Amino acid sequence: MRAYIAFMKKEFRELTRTYKLLIMGILFFILGLMNPLTAKFTPDLLKNFMPEAIQITITEPVAMDSWSQFYKNVPQMGLIIFAIVFSGMISNELTKGTLVNMLTKGLSRKNVILAKFTSVGIVWTVSYFFCFAISYLYTKFFWSEAVPNLFFSVFCLWIFGFVIIALLLLGGVLLKSSYGSLLITAGVIGILFLINIVPTLMDYNPLMLSSSNTALLRQELQVSDFFAPLIVSVGMIVVSVIVSISVFNKKKL
Amino acid sequence: MEEIMEYLPIILPIFIAEVTLAIVAFVHVQRHPHYKIGNRIVWSFVVLLLQIIGPIAYFIIGRSDEE
Repeated sequence: MRAYIAFMKKEFRELTRTYKLLIMGILFFILGLMNPLTAKFTPDLLKNFMPEAIQITITEPVAMDSWSQFYKNVPQMGLIIFAIVFSGMISNELTKGTLVNMLTKGLSRKNVILAKFTSVGIVWTVSYFFCFAISYLYTKFFWSEAVPNLFFSVFCLWIFGFVIIALLLLGGVLLKSSYGSLLITAGVIGILFLINIVPTLMDYNPLMLSSSNTALLRQELQVSDFFAPLIVSVGMIVVSVIVSISVFNKKKL
Repeated sequence: MEEIMEYLPIILPIFIAEVTLAIVAFVHVQRHPHYKIGNRIVWSFVVLLLQIIGPIAYFIIGRSDEE
């Protein structure tokens, strides 16, 4: 446990020194502000740029628009940049050989993987909920209407972030390069997209956690529909972390 | 003008965040002579002209690992 905590400290020092914390903080801060802004702004923008002759009815923006922006921006821009930034979390250490010292001094390999997973997980959790808090406050400020199932759908996307982290970790351990880890993550997400073709498997697809959130808010889907993908996602996270540990144990540094 | 005032509480923080990121990256570019790819002039422009994406790109692919 002590080794684990020491390695976590090292991780966070590295994250600040490499400006990754700063990037994540500012990126998710801006994303959080963008959602209510675009929702509020787009109708005005359309009105101003529309030629006089054309008549279309522009509906007033509602809180729902802000949240559909949130579920568009965070999985696309947010998660993709997050994955790119943290794609090198294992491979950088391996290529630079910085782990050799610590491992020969008795740090167990299991601790390395677990500490990596938790430290990146903490960064994801903090920046994501920071983003959500800002969006939430501004959306309340502009519209003050409640959206059903909001917190549960936010929780779903949060779990999906952990699926990405676990896949990045697995990719890094398997292929030893940051491109490899991105490749594996993208590959698995691609497979998940393909799985969506089969209707029976669709209900279990973890991808649902990041793509069907607005349907949940509109109450086209129920909370119970998300239990199966949630369980599959947690299973995927656990399996990929365990596989990462066992592969890393046998890996030559 | 009135419309701008209405959006100010939300545009201003975005603006400040973008400028902060650009300045931090710009200072870093000026203080470090070596880059993984590109050179100082390229990165100075990228960091200042491309909002958000520029500084992030610099810190991920441009920054060299030396202290």
